[in-house]
Amino acid sequence: MLTQQIINGLMLGAIYMLVAVAFTLAIGVLNFLNFSLPGLFMVGGMATYGFIRIGWPWFFAIGGALFLAALVSLLVERLAYRRGEGAEADVPLVSSLGFLVLLENLMLVQYGSDQQAFPALLPDMNLRVGGLVIGIAQIISLAISVILVAWLSWFLKRTNAGRRIRTVAENRETAQLLGVNIRRLVPQLFVASALLAAVGGVLFAVNYQQVSPWMGEGPGFKGVAAMIIGGMGSIWGSVIGGLLIGFAEVLSITFIGADVVNITVYGLLLLILIVRPQGLLGKPPAREKL
Amino acid sequence: MALLEVSDLSVQYGRVTALEKVSLTVRDGEIVTVLGANGAGKSTLLKAILGAVPARGGGVTFDGADITARPTHERIARGLSLAPEGRRILISLSIEENLLLGAHMRRDAAAVHREMDAIYARFPNLAERRHMLASCLSGGEQQMLAIGRAMMAKPRLLLLDEPSLGLSPLFVQKLFELIRELNAGGLAILLVEQNTGKALGVAHHATVLELGRVVMAGEPAALAADPRLREAYLGDGG
Repeated sequence: MLTQQIINGLMLGAIYMLVAVAFTLAIGVLNFLNFSLPGLFMVGGMATYGFIRIGWPWFFAIGGALFLAALVSLLVERLAYRRGEGAEADVPLVSSLGFLVLLENLMLVQYGSDQQAFPALLPDMNLRVGGLVIGIAQIISLAISVILVAWLSWFLKRTNAGRRIRTVAENRETAQLLGVNIRRLVPQLFVASALLAAVGGVLFAVNYQQVSPWMGEGPGFKGVAAMIIGGMGSIWGSVIGGLLIGFAEVLSITFIGADVVNITVYGLLLLILIVRPQGLLGKPPAREKL
Repeated sequence: MALLEVSDLSVQYGRVTALEKVSLTVRDGEIVTVLGANGAGKSTLLKAILGAVPARGGGVTFDGADITARPTHERIARGLSLAPEGRRILISLSIEENLLLGAHMRRDAAAVHREMDAIYARFPNLAERRHMLASCLSGGEQQMLAIGRAMMAKPRLLLLDEPSLGLSPLFVQKLFELIRELNAGGLAILLVEQNTGKALGVAHHATVLELGRVVMAGEPAALAADPRLREAYLGDGG
């Protein structure tokens, strides 16, 4: 029973982890709390649903949804981030929040506010290992999340583009003096973080087989909590934070009841903020990012 | 032949004029030094040559091509490279990552690694700690790393912005030996310095800036003998 719940928690945590890493990229490198990301998570799930409904094969539907999320993220970069440069830090934050509201309501206009049933894309097969039931969708989702994050971490550490990103994270002016083309790098980062969030949304839809215009809010804000618990700007911190929140959520549903989920999750956040304000893997005040 | 030709370059920060019609030439294989007090516009000149601050007037020609309107990354790809003022080492990156960052636009990985080995051979202190964070280095070692990083771009003209600032006399000595050696290997260097004596000692040509204008230019020996140099170098409150 407990092991089964740990597996379920791992699955949910993997999705939070993707969202947390998406936030981490934006805040760690650009110092931008990008609140359009929960919206892009939702676009991942809802647009896949919409494309399937008009008859696209599921892999085209997913590809189309990811492409759409990337496009919207480029719009956010142009309209919320770039135009807000040089203004107070909360100006781009608030306009990115505006994008979240806009995206949710566009979906509402198109599909209504009800939960929609998302078709089962994967055969409803389960692996049974010593009394445990593990869904195929669960395993595939977990593998995709872990591979994506591990690849991202390798990319940042080992490639020229990764070093450029970490240089911008530490000091923009230095990056410019060393010839980093920031005008090109920033939109690329927006696309990367949008894709992480949207993949999270697709996996969420595939696993829980329902979508709605509001589906991004829960995982989105838990992703932010996961990022803070793990330590702002640390990718592996976000991984740990995401998994922790996934476990906390599943275990509290099982042992205490579904009503207390938010108390557990945000209580965990509060506890971390009191005990270790920089987060589990965060470094104290002098910020070293990524 | 002229490698770098700066002609009547002007730079403005808001309403403050930082450079006013500055002209300067660096030929192949030459060390040119730019002297002047704090605020004379020396760093601004290097940044404008690199394209990190926009020119309001005048032009920059490098290797026969007008680069006045080109972005920084393109200028670096053409063969300009800067070891910036204050060294600007990335402390969240390892020593080796700092060096590789200097070569971030190059695609010839094998050559990049050969050159990194050459830099390690020259600075064994860096080689020993290559995988440690660059924050563990002393000021002098950081300066060597900054120059090593600039060299990793395989420049044809190396821009050095006050490399001796804050270094111990021993490191200043080492630094100027390094500048001589790099130049002996055929590299052209544009050296901004406050250490007038040492800079005039290595340079083939010198220019003195004051409040954004060229006030003197010529042979180092002639400048060293000029009583006005002290005055210009010290400047206001210098």
